Amino acid sequence: PIEDQFISLNRHIQRSEFSQAVKVADQILSIAPGDDDALRCKIVALIKDDRIDNALSAIQSSQSADFSFFKAYCLYRQNKLDEALSSLRDQERNSMTMLLESQILYRLGKMDACVDTYQKLAKSKIDSLEINYVAALTAAGRASE
Amino acid sequence: NPIVLDIAFNFIDFPSLENRM
Ligand SMILES: [K+]
Repeated sequence: PIEDQFISLNRHIQRSEFSQAVKVADQILSIAPGDDDALRCKIVALIKDDRIDNALSAIQSSQSADFSFFKAYCLYRQNKLDEALSSLRDQERNSMTMLLESQILYRLGKMDACVDTYQKLAKSKIDSLEINYVAALTAAGRASE
Repeated sequence: NPIVLDIAFNFIDFPSLENRM
């Protein structure tokens, strides 16, 4: 039954066996096409396994579910920065989308906008955020702040 | 160049499969 396959999928995820997780997610999807959890697991496992091209294909193959954050992240990894940014701008602004936006702005060299976004995130207690904030300030020539 | 981390990567997370097992 499908429950057993989800147990197997979950076990692979817990053990960071991402390519095995993708295989089991594909087995689930072959009997339950479009299953949101299986598809989401497959996409995340592909990303964690650094198979960004495959992750994007999986995202694009899905009709219904909203994988727009994953899509924006994959585009960022492929250095398709303008596409990544426009994909993000269709999404609700929250700490996750703002964080990715700040990383994209950094790569685009838009340092003042990048610094602004990091400053808005300051209250969100994201681990290691200050490392990127300092990098952006430095690149913006504002290291004294 | 200063170090920049890919912190967004840590926000990419698996869904809970709790009620699927
Ligand atoms: K950054």
